[in-house]
Amino acid sequence: MGFKNFEGADEEFNLEQMEAETEAMLRLRYLTGDNATFTRTAGGFVSLDIAKGENGEPEHYDRVRVVRSFPFTAPGTYISIRTTEEKSKEIGIIKDLAKDVSKETRKMLEEQMNLRYFTPVITKINDIKEEYGHAYFDVETTEGPCKFVIYMNSSSVVSLSDVRLMITDLDGNRFEIPDYTTLSAGELKKLDLFL
Amino acid sequence: MSKKDRKISEEPMQATGKLPKEIEIELRDRGLREEDVLVSVRTDMDLTCAFTPGWIVLTKTRLYTATADPLLGEVHYFKGMETRKTGKVAQDREWTFAEYDISDIKTAYVERSVSGGFLVIVHKDPNDEEAEGAAETVAAVSNRRMGSATKIERLCEKLADGSEIDEESLKDDEEEDYCPVCGTMYPNPDRKVCPKCMNKKSIFRRTLAYLKPYKYRIMVMFACYLATAALNIIWPYLNGVVLYRKVLGKDEKFLSFLSVDGNRYVVILLLLVVTMVMTKITMQLVGILQGVMTAKIVPRVVKTMRNDVFGAMGKLSINFFTSKQTGSLMTRVMSDSDEVSGFFIDGLPYFLINVFSIIAMAVVMFRLSVPLAIVALMFMPITFLVSWFMLPRLWHRYGRRHRATRSLNSKIHDNLSGARVVKAFGQESSEVGRFDKANEKVRSADLAVMNYDNKFSALYSAAENLASLMVYIVGAYLILIQKKFDFAVLITFAGYVGQMTGPMDFMSFFFRWFTNCMNSAQRLFEIIDAVPEIQEKENAVSLDTIEGTIEMKDVTFGYEKNKPVLKNISMKVEGGHMLGIVGRSGAGKTTIVNLISRLYDPQEGSVTLDGVNLKDLSFATLRGNVAMVSQETYMFMGTVAENIAYAKKDASRAEIIRAAVLASAHDFICRMPDGYDTIIGSSGRELSGGERQRISIARAILANPKILILDEATAAVDTETEQAIQQSINMLIKGRTTISIAHRLSTLRDADTLIVIDEGKIAEQGTHEELLAKKGVYYKLKELQTKALALKGIE
Repeated sequence: MGFKNFEGADEEFNLEQMEAETEAMLRLRYLTGDNATFTRTAGGFVSLDIAKGENGEPEHYDRVRVVRSFPFTAPGTYISIRTTEEKSKEIGIIKDLAKDVSKETRKMLEEQMNLRYFTPVITKINDIKEEYGHAYFDVETTEGPCKFVIYMNSSSVVSLSDVRLMITDLDGNRFEIPDYTTLSAGELKKLDLFL
Repeated sequence: MSKKDRKISEEPMQATGKLPKEIEIELRDRGLREEDVLVSVRTDMDLTCAFTPGWIVLTKTRLYTATADPLLGEVHYFKGMETRKTGKVAQDREWTFAEYDISDIKTAYVERSVSGGFLVIVHKDPNDEEAEGAAETVAAVSNRRMGSATKIERLCEKLADGSEIDEESLKDDEEEDYCPVCGTMYPNPDRKVCPKCMNKKSIFRRTLAYLKPYKYRIMVMFACYLATAALNIIWPYLNGVVLYRKVLGKDEKFLSFLSVDGNRYVVILLLLVVTMVMTKITMQLVGILQGVMTAKIVPRVVKTMRNDVFGAMGKLSINFFTSKQTGSLMTRVMSDSDEVSGFFIDGLPYFLINVFSIIAMAVVMFRLSVPLAIVALMFMPITFLVSWFMLPRLWHRYGRRHRATRSLNSKIHDNLSGARVVKAFGQESSEVGRFDKANEKVRSADLAVMNYDNKFSALYSAAENLASLMVYIVGAYLILIQKKFDFAVLITFAGYVGQMTGPMDFMSFFFRWFTNCMNSAQRLFEIIDAVPEIQEKENAVSLDTIEGTIEMKDVTFGYEKNKPVLKNISMKVEGGHMLGIVGRSGAGKTTIVNLISRLYDPQEGSVTLDGVNLKDLSFATLRGNVAMVSQETYMFMGTVAENIAYAKKDASRAEIIRAAVLASAHDFICRMPDGYDTIIGSSGRELSGGERQRISIARAILANPKILILDEATAAVDTETEQAIQQSINMLIKGRTTISIAHRLSTLRDADTLIVIDEGKIAEQGTHEELLAKKGVYYKLKELQTKALALKGIE
């Protein structure tokens, strides 16, 4: 049996509607304080109301996911507001948090992002010991003293810029050194293996 | 709310035995009964992401969380650092509690952050039991405790569904992650090797075992080393004391010892010269003999080690090869075996000989002259220290240069393999800029090496020269002023000083060499010792003939423990039938196939073949009856015939040709000048995608499996070739259980059953007609592929 046999059976198949859906996927919608209202929810999330949505109808989202498009190089711009299901879809983009939304909204969204992008910043290196393919770190961070282990391979310590390092532990927990040149000579020596 | 004043019960709660007392008491107050506890798991953050210990306790009716208030300066231990001891929570902390009613939970999920996640529960809508209401974050974890969050997520889902909870999903797998000896957490729980307990001593002994078969040769080598050392000591003595004092000084005792009278000292001189020449020649001969021994032993030891490692690698599960950290491990392993045997053959004996030489030389020197010996030896520690401190730093710079060069090379490689793109976008000049940046790094690293190398050499030779200078000065003083001894002793001394710096230098890097060698050996043993995740059971079931009925029951599986790819999959294919699997890329289609061929074991649920769990089935039965044709066709180095006969080495030529004909590969094979003897594979003739695909189909036909897996077998070829291959496949699937994955639904038109996978779950299941009638995902997909294309005039 070929597929051709079934072609007649589905008059309601609407190609135009499907094309419209595809087109919507290809469009970029910018959100600003004018067209979008964010509100804190009791459960620790942010909800979103768009007064005039795609079809002129108001849109409401119980909770949204706040995602940075450039988490390292431009954390405050191009913030993607997305739905929360597993295959999340974009609702819209905030071009610039500092300009496009109110201070209150900005704070609200930054709170969400700080949780999402939570990364302890290493302030002091007490010790780094290399043994048997692993490196053992003993550091002070903005989140308190931490002891963690990384694999000795190139993907564990990544340079995000000439001075900025991202360190990933065995479980995939991230730690950051924003500027390693500010570390003391002794600390740098311990870290030198990874530079 | 800590309740310190309460009396602590004598018997800890069974299931929550790990819980701190304060939590236990509080939860009892809240009406928790120990027998109700399903699981209690740990968290490591509060809801603001501050690191602090916490717990989630789940019963069939309630979910409790307890979070300690963060303590300033408390150390947070992550995987590999944590021990059982540090895992204990300090007493007398302030705790915050919360509880939730399971009957009010619609669903639970883990919202992932960049290095952790939040456990979110979605309440039921108060107005509509079936709808989702407000969501609430109840716990936060770093990736360290992600397992806790996903465990609660899964259990909550099951509780909300009302589905059964099996023992496996309640199993506490935490405990297995700690080394039973020292209580440290394994850095990699998949390979249960504790770096602390796998001590250097045992590694050392195990490595020695590799040398055991060559013990006689090694004894010869030792004899050579000893001879070299002895000759090294004799040489300055002959050169100095014997020549100057005994012979030139006409020492009576010496002459009478040789029973030669004083006037014929020319004969003696000649004798000495001959002796000296013989000494040098012997030294050379011993050196050659020792070199021969090394050359004979090292390659054999290396070969044995590599064979062991490769053999162990073959037994390992596929997971071991795909995980990133082991990928780099593999490439190092081969050079590791060199490092290890090199150390044991070259380093270790030389070390012993050096210790011996230094002691012997020192003894001789002290016997000749105590003050001069002190002066000479005084400088030894200095040269030793210079090497000790500077050599590691020098190596470090070499390491940096090595890394810079490597990154430059990879840049070149990157550029060459992307040459088409570079040209197409006209980016040649900017690529030169990028190259220049990397090149500059090599230059500066190179400069650093040379700088330091010069410094090191200058300092080292200064210390060395200073030592011999001092020996000469003090020696001259002692000869001229104090007249303690003669010129002969001074010459001997100078010889010893020169010879001693070598061993000293060696000693300074010996320890580092030792550590490196132990590291290498450890990596080797780690692979040799690794226990495969997929193991054949003892007395596994072997089936002579199989029907080919495959069934999956409630299978949950993820490549990473906490990220399930398949969720509760159940399906059945009767023997000889064909199952089609449809779904978006990344939906989990290939994962199902991986489980059926038992490249992985499911974390929950079971996969059975003819009613026998795959875990109980012998490898021979399973592998002998399953063959796969996938999108990635791999051709091994060798001839076309060898590649077709890969799974059946003893296939006759007639069988090979028959298989090739059935796979419609015979024609193109015969068109190649070397026919079936054409060398293909990495260095051989390039085959097109369709040709490779047909050879791999021929391979499967020859293997004659009862179960055939087609994983996007025709995805990489054009429509015309697909038609041809499709015909071969139709030949192939007759009388076999076939599982076929495809994007193009037209390839699945003959399937008896189709399943549509979406987000790791079976979205739809049924025959082609049933699914079309359903007007669901499959229907939409089919419409997209036929009608939409037809409308645009493509088909």
